Amino acid sequence: MALTDRPIIEIKNVTKRFGSLTALDDVSLSVHRGETVAIIGPSGSGKSTLLRSINNLEQISSGEIVIDGQTLAATPHDRAEYVSEKEIRQICGEIGMIFQHFNLFPHMTCLRNITYAPIKVKKQPRAQAEAEARRLLELVGLSDKADAYPSQLSGGQKQRVAIARGLAMNPAVMLFDEPTSALDPEITGEVLAVMKRLAEAQMTMLVVTHEMGFAREVADRVIFMADGRIMEQGDPQQIFENPQSERLQNFLRSIIRS
Amino acid sequence: METFDYVARILPALLEGTKITLVVFFATLLLAIPLGLPLALGSDCRWRPLRWFCRGYVALFRGTPLMLQLFFIYYMLPIYFNILLPELTAAVITFVLNYAAYLSEIYRGGIGSIERGQYEAATCLGLTSFQTMFGVIIPQTVKRVLPAVTNETITLVKDTALVSAIGVADLMKNSRSAVNRDGSTMAFLVAAIIYLLLNVVLTKFSYYLEERFSRHEAKETRLERRTLWH
Ligand SMILES: Nc1ncnc2c1ncn2[C@@H]1O[C@H](COP(=O)(O)OP(=O)(O)OP(=O)(O)O)[C@@H](O)[C@H]1O
Ligand SMILES: [Mg+2]
Repeated sequence: MALTDRPIIEIKNVTKRFGSLTALDDVSLSVHRGETVAIIGPSGSGKSTLLRSINNLEQISSGEIVIDGQTLAATPHDRAEYVSEKEIRQICGEIGMIFQHFNLFPHMTCLRNITYAPIKVKKQPRAQAEAEARRLLELVGLSDKADAYPSQLSGGQKQRVAIARGLAMNPAVMLFDEPTSALDPEITGEVLAVMKRLAEAQMTMLVVTHEMGFAREVADRVIFMADGRIMEQGDPQQIFENPQSERLQNFLRSIIRS
Repeated sequence: METFDYVARILPALLEGTKITLVVFFATLLLAIPLGLPLALGSDCRWRPLRWFCRGYVALFRGTPLMLQLFFIYYMLPIYFNILLPELTAAVITFVLNYAAYLSEIYRGGIGSIERGQYEAATCLGLTSFQTMFGVIIPQTVKRVLPAVTNETITLVKDTALVSAIGVADLMKNSRSAVNRDGSTMAFLVAAIIYLLLNVVLTKFSYYLEERFSRHEAKETRLERRTLWH
């Protein structure tokens, strides 16, 4: 019991500076298995930096990051120290990431995009990887696009392929950095529907989003960030119906108005 | 009719020369195209000695005349290092060294133009930097550098004429011999046509390659481009 209660992501007192700018300021956060956490907040508040620190796309200045019980970075003295390259690769293998701009590999078909890493990294036999890829394409509603190139897809379809690609590595956690921000409003729904299905299937997800409807409906917990800090967090109802801080109240008002 | 007969008479020598020109051309391409890649990667390597070596090499070969490099390798290697190379070998070596430098800069620009998101996606999927470079980045670079590489190859066809300066019997040298011998400039005209033809074939071939490497682009955009530019 104690084991399953262990958070899958543990962030303790993380600070990240870019030169003189403090993008993350003493952030602590735990995410448990199966949880869907939405991160909201104004532009420049450090949401992306937080996600990118979790899977080592950014290196923190100080603090501690532990993924599924394995330490990625710690600060025994005054600066963060990372584990070895090999351990980083292994730890970050537990984490999938979905980007605002999809970042599909344009020279590969959808199928190849999805199977490439499982074959190269996990040494899966091609047939097995392809069968799994087709299953995932079906999951995201794109079974007919296996042989299409990314340039032949709409934005929403690209993002769904990117989600399938991330899932193919069988990660314990999926990070989403504004997955629908680059999409036309009328097609954000198809991506959000896939994410909702993942949440219902108990995938652990950390989602930076401007989609308040999604945060309210799907998230188990909403985190509000501003100025590199977590200002407020709680279940969606509490955050949206009963915001405590003035910053959050203003933020919600500005969102509703736009 | 007289002109016709004359051209027919000098043509065999010019075609012999064309063969040598093509040898220089293909040998250079075949060796310089792959050699440019390690140079390009080395020029951006984090390990400083390698980076400096590669950048220095490129600066040297791009910063001095090709003719001078040719003379250096053909005339000065024997004097200073006691290495005497046959003319054709010296010519090919010089051209390979020189073109690898130019191509490496093209490759470097191409690699640098790939969005950071591609590296990030690859890293997040657990690919090593080697797998990322050779599986994700370089295949995308090929298409982007193709037009610039084509340009370089067209320049190469014309640059090969320089090898006549160290006595290689290429198209240039053989046409000049004919002109000097017969007091008619007709051989130059024929040579010009041959050079031109080589480049027409080359250009066609490069369009074909570009088409092939664009197959992952949507069909419509491909057609659109074709009607715009071809
Ligand atoms: N690579 C970088 N170099 C320098 N400064 C950076 C870098 N990345 C982010 N920053 C700065 O860190 C701060 C936090 O940026 P971050 O991208 O995390 O914000 P965000 O909450 O994701 O904003 P948005 O909603 O606009 O995506 C910003 O002030 C940003 O300018
Ligand atoms: Mg962001």
